[in-house]
Amino acid sequence: MLSIKNLSATVGDTTILRDLSLSVKPGEVHAIMGPNGAGKSTLGNILTGREGYDVTGGSVEFDGKNLLELDTEERAREGIFLAFQYPVEIPGVSNMEFLKAAVDAKRAHHGQEELSSVEFMKLARETCKQVRMDQAFLKRGVNEGFSGGEKKRNEILQMMLLEPRLCILDETDSGLDIDALQSVSDGVNAMRTADRGFIVVTHYQRLLDYIEPDFVHVLAKGRIVKSGTKELAKELEAKGYGWLDSEVA
Amino acid sequence: MSEFQQQALELARQQQAPDWLAPLRTSGADQWAQAAWPTRRTEQWKYTPLIPLQKTWFNRWGEPDLAQAGSIDWIDPEASRLVFVNGRFAADLSSNDLPAEVVRFAEAGPEQRALIEQHLGQVVDSERHLFAALSNAWTDDGVLLHVPAGQQLSGPLYVVHVSTPEAEPTPAGQRLLIVLDSGAQASVVEHFASTADSQSGFVNSLTEVVVGDNARFRHCRVHLEQEDLIHVGGVHVNLGRASHMNGFTLAQGSRLKRIDYQINHRGEGAELVLNGIYLPRNRQLVDYHTNVEHCVPHCTTSETFRGIIGDSSRAVFNGRIHIHPDAQKTLAELSNKNLLTSDRAEVDTKPELEIYADDVRCAHGATVSQLDPTALYYLQSRGISRLEAEVMLSFGFINELLREAPEPALQAWLRRHLNVLLGRPEQLTRHLDTGIEDSLS
Amino acid sequence: MSEQVDNLIRKEYAAGFHTLIDADTLPPGLNEDVVRFISAKKGEPDWMTEWRLKAYRAWTEMAEPDWAKVKYPPIDFQKISYYSAPKSMDDKPQSLDEVDPELLATYEKLGIPLHEQEMLAGVAVDAVFDSVSVVTTFRKKLWEAGVIFCPISEAVHDYPELVKKYLGSVVPQKDNYFAALNSAVFSDGSFVYIPKGVRCPMELSTYFRINEMNTGQFERTLIVAEEGSHVSYLEGCTAPMRDENQLHAAVVELVALDNAEIKYSTVQNWYPGDAEGKGGIYNFVTKRGICHTNAKISWTQVETGSAVTWKYPSCILKGDNSVGEFYSVALTNNYQQADTGTKMIHLGKNTRSTIIAKGISAGKSDSSYRGLVRINAGAEGARNFTQCDSLLIGDQCGAHTFPYIESRNPSAIVEHEATTSRVSDDQMFLCQQRGLDAEKAVSMIVNGFCREVFRELPMEFAVEAGKLLEVSLEGSVG
Repeated sequence: MLSIKNLSATVGDTTILRDLSLSVKPGEVHAIMGPNGAGKSTLGNILTGREGYDVTGGSVEFDGKNLLELDTEERAREGIFLAFQYPVEIPGVSNMEFLKAAVDAKRAHHGQEELSSVEFMKLARETCKQVRMDQAFLKRGVNEGFSGGEKKRNEILQMMLLEPRLCILDETDSGLDIDALQSVSDGVNAMRTADRGFIVVTHYQRLLDYIEPDFVHVLAKGRIVKSGTKELAKELEAKGYGWLDSEVA
Repeated sequence: MSEFQQQALELARQQQAPDWLAPLRTSGADQWAQAAWPTRRTEQWKYTPLIPLQKTWFNRWGEPDLAQAGSIDWIDPEASRLVFVNGRFAADLSSNDLPAEVVRFAEAGPEQRALIEQHLGQVVDSERHLFAALSNAWTDDGVLLHVPAGQQLSGPLYVVHVSTPEAEPTPAGQRLLIVLDSGAQASVVEHFASTADSQSGFVNSLTEVVVGDNARFRHCRVHLEQEDLIHVGGVHVNLGRASHMNGFTLAQGSRLKRIDYQINHRGEGAELVLNGIYLPRNRQLVDYHTNVEHCVPHCTTSETFRGIIGDSSRAVFNGRIHIHPDAQKTLAELSNKNLLTSDRAEVDTKPELEIYADDVRCAHGATVSQLDPTALYYLQSRGISRLEAEVMLSFGFINELLREAPEPALQAWLRRHLNVLLGRPEQLTRHLDTGIEDSLS
Repeated sequence: MSEQVDNLIRKEYAAGFHTLIDADTLPPGLNEDVVRFISAKKGEPDWMTEWRLKAYRAWTEMAEPDWAKVKYPPIDFQKISYYSAPKSMDDKPQSLDEVDPELLATYEKLGIPLHEQEMLAGVAVDAVFDSVSVVTTFRKKLWEAGVIFCPISEAVHDYPELVKKYLGSVVPQKDNYFAALNSAVFSDGSFVYIPKGVRCPMELSTYFRINEMNTGQFERTLIVAEEGSHVSYLEGCTAPMRDENQLHAAVVELVALDNAEIKYSTVQNWYPGDAEGKGGIYNFVTKRGICHTNAKISWTQVETGSAVTWKYPSCILKGDNSVGEFYSVALTNNYQQADTGTKMIHLGKNTRSTIIAKGISAGKSDSSYRGLVRINAGAEGARNFTQCDSLLIGDQCGAHTFPYIESRNPSAIVEHEATTSRVSDDQMFLCQQRGLDAEKAVSMIVNGFCREVFRELPMEFAVEAGKLLEVSLEGSVG
C-alpha cells in the first residue's frame, strides 16, 4: 500500500531524513520510535505534503501512485490521514462545518454524492459517542479552547469520519491521561481492519500497550537503524535509546 | 477654496430646503467654505486621498429612477423601512405604516421640528469633521426617530439608502437623527446599497444619535455599495448616564469609502460595544476612523474591528480612545486585527490612546498578518481544497463579530451573502453557516 | 554661467567673514555667513562648508514640525547664538566648592565618583586633565584594534573619505527641520569607525567629551560598523544643565554594514526645568540607523530629563535578516513633556524588529509614545512586536500612545499591544506595610515596571538609570 524508498528530506538547510525506506501493507500497524529530534514527526509531514519540507531524494508510492506529486488535500482524499501531535485551533469555524467540508471533499473525490445535512449530523453524533466526546464540541470552533485530551479525541473523530486507508498517528499519546489514552486507543483499535494501515509515531512504549504494533522501527538521525517486533519496543523501554548508538556504529 | 468645495456650495444653492433648516445650512456652508482642503499632511486624511472626489464633476442633484432601486435585496422585507434613492425619498419602496416615532424632516410637525432644531448638527462637531459641515450645508430632508421616555420602538427600523447610476455623476446627502429619551429603547439598521450597475455617485451620510439616560440603543450600519460609488459617512453619538449602545458596522470597499464613528460618553456609567468588519478587495479602499471620548467616570468601551484586505485593495483604520481628566474608573479596550490575503494589499492602522486620568484600565492591540499557514495545512490535510480552506479561515476571522451583530435578521442576511462579502464563489462558502450545528440539541 | 555667479557671491562672502573669524562668540542670529563662519572656525575643507550651506538653504525652506504632542512657546532661531568658543579655564568654577550644592547633591544620589563629578560640573582642575589622559590611554588601545574614535571635527580632517561617504547617508540634510538645522551648524560630536570583523575592545562612551558640551547644543554623531564588526556605544547626558530653555538639536547616524552590530544606549538627564515648569532643555533629536544584511541595531534609552523631548531613534532594516530593537523608558514629572518612540522601516526579507516602550508620567507632565512600523512590499516574512506600557502617577498627568502601522506584505506579522496602568493603592499599601516609605515604594514599583528595558543597558548604566528614576520621581507622591 505504502512504499517509501530511500527517502531523504530537508527543512531549510537541515537534513532531517536520510535514505529512509519503509513499506506498509494493508492491515499492518508499524510503530516508529526514536529519540527526540530523530525526524519522527517529519515523516508524517512529508507524507502529507506539508510546505517547508523538501524531498531531496527517493520515492514514495501510495496504492501505486506517486504520492510526492500530489497536493496535501489530494493525498488526504486518497486516504492519507495524519493525527496531529498539536491539533490546530481554528476560531470562528465550527467543528461541524469543518467536518462536513472535509467529508464532502473526500466523497466528491471518489465520485460519491454528498451526504445531506441530516445524514451527516446523524453520522457525526454516532461517531462522537464512539470516541466518548460530548456533542457540544461539534458546535464549537475547531479545537477552540479544547483541552489536550479533547483535541486528540477530535483527531480520532475526524479519522473515523474520513475512513482513511493509511493513518499516521503523530505522538498521539503525548499529554494524555490514562482515561483519554484509553478512549483514543479504543477508537484506533476499532479502526484496525484488513484493508487499513497504520503508522504510529511515538517516543514512549506506553501507547504500544494499548495499540499493539506488528512491527517496530527505530528512527535515529533521520534513518531507520533497527527494525523488529513489539519486543523491540520493550527493549527500548528498558534500555533507553543510548545503546543503539554503539550497536549502529 | 478648492474646486470641489465650490462645486459643493453651488449644489447647496440649487436646493430648495424648508426655511427652518436655513440656519444649519448657512453655518454648514460657511464652515465648509472656510475649511482647509485636506492634503496628505492632514492627519485625519493621511492615508486616504480625496482625489476620486476631486476628479469627478458633480453638477446637479439626481432625478433617480425609483423603480430601478426596487430590485435590491432587502435585509428584512417585513420590517419597517424608509427608502431613499440617490438622496430622494422613495415612498413606494418604503413601508406604508411607519411607526409613529418616525418622521421625515419635510413632514415634521412643530414639536418634532423643535426637537430637530434642538439636536440636529449639535451632536456632531462640524469644526472637526469636514464632511459633517458639508452635510449641514446640504440638509434639505432627513429622518427623525424619536422614542419618548420609557418607550420601546416596536421592531427594528431600517433606513435604506440606494444608489443608482444616472446620466451624470450624482451627489446625495443622507441625514438621520435619532433621539432616545431616558429609558427608551430602539434598534436601527442603516443599509447602504446600490443597484448592481457601475455607479458614479457620491454619498455623504451623517447620523446623529442622542441616547438618553438609561436608554438602550442597538445600531447596525452596513455599507454594501458597488465599488465605484464614493461614500463619506459619519455616526456621531452622545451617550447619557447608564445608557447602553451596541453598535455593529460592516463595509465593503469602493473607490473611496470613509466612515467616521464618534462616540461621546457624556453620562456616568455608559456602556459601549462597537464592532466593525471591513472587506476591501480589487482596487478598493475602506477607511474607518473611530473616536471614543470618555468625558466622565465609570464608563466602558469595548471596540473590535477586523479587516480582510485582498487583491490590490487598501484598508485604513484609526481608532482613538481619549480619556479626559476626571474620567476615572474608565474601562476601555480596543482591538484591531487585519488579514492581508494578497501581495498587493495594504493596511495602515493606528490605534491611539490619549489618557489624562490615572485610575483607568485601558488597552489596545493591533495585528497584521496573513492566514495562518499551519491552519491552512491542517484543513488541507483533511482533504479540503486550498481555496476553500482560505475561505473558511477568513470566515472564522470575522465570524465572532458577525455573531455579535445586534439584529438577528441582519446577521442571517449577512450569513446568506458570505460569498458576496468574501468575494468568492458560492461553492467555496457553502459549508459555512449552514446552521447545521444549530440543529444539534 | 551660474557657476561664475556662485563664485562671485562666494568671494564677496569670503571677504565678509574674515573679520568674523577673529571673533570668539557670534552674536545671535543665523544666516549663510554664520554657517561659513562656523565652518571656517573649524578649518573645514570646502566640501564640508558646501554641505553645511546646502543644509542651511534647505532649512530656510522648511517649517518647524507641529505634529508632536508637545507645547512650547515659539523658538526664535535668530535669537540663538550658534557659535561660542569653549570657555576659557578662567570662567569655570575652580573647584567643586564653587559648584551649586544642589547639583552636587544630585551627583551624590546618582553615585557618580568624585573625579567624574568634577568633569560633569566642568570644573577646570587637574582632574579634567587626568580624564583627558585617561581618554588618551583608551585611544591607544582602540588604535591597536583599528577602531577610530575621535571628535567628528577631527574626522573631517583625518578621515575625509569616510565622513564624505557616510555623513548624511542615514539622516540627509533635508530629513527634517531640526536635522537640517543641525547639519548647518553642528558644533562637534563623535566619530566612530569599527573596521571589518573587529569587536570593539571596550564600551565607547561620550563621557570624555562632556566638558566640551558647554559649547555645543548641536552635536553630530556618526558611527560606522564595517562588515562583521561589533560596537557598544554609551551616551550619558547626565549633566543637568542650568540654562533656561536651551535648544539641543542633535543628530546621530548609525551605519551597520553586513553582519555588523551596533548597540547604542542613552541615559538622558538634561535639565528638565524646575517644579514650576520654568527653564529646561528642548531636546529635539534625530537618531537613525541603517542595517545591511544580517546586521543589528539596538537602541536603548532612558529619558528622564529635558523640558520637552522630541526624539525617535529609528532603524532602516534594509538588508535581509537584519534586526532592529528599541527599548525605551521615558519618565516625565512636573511640567515635562516627552514625545518619543521609534520608526522601524522593514525593507529586507525576514527583517525583525522589537519595540518595548515604557512611559511613566507623574506630576503635570505628558508622555507620548509615537511609533511607526512600516512593512514594505519586499519585506517577505518580516516580523514586528511592539509593546507600549504607560504608568500614571497621580491624576494630573497624561499618557498617550500613537502607533502607526503600515503593512504592505501579507507574509509579515505585526503585533502591537499597549496598556495603561497606575501605581495602585494596593501595591503601595503592600510596600508600606512592609516598612518602605512612599517614595521608595513608588520607585520600586517603577523600577519593576521598567525592568525589561533596564536589562538591555550595560551594567553600570542600569544601576545609574534606576537611581536616576528615583531622583526624577522625587516629590511625585504626596
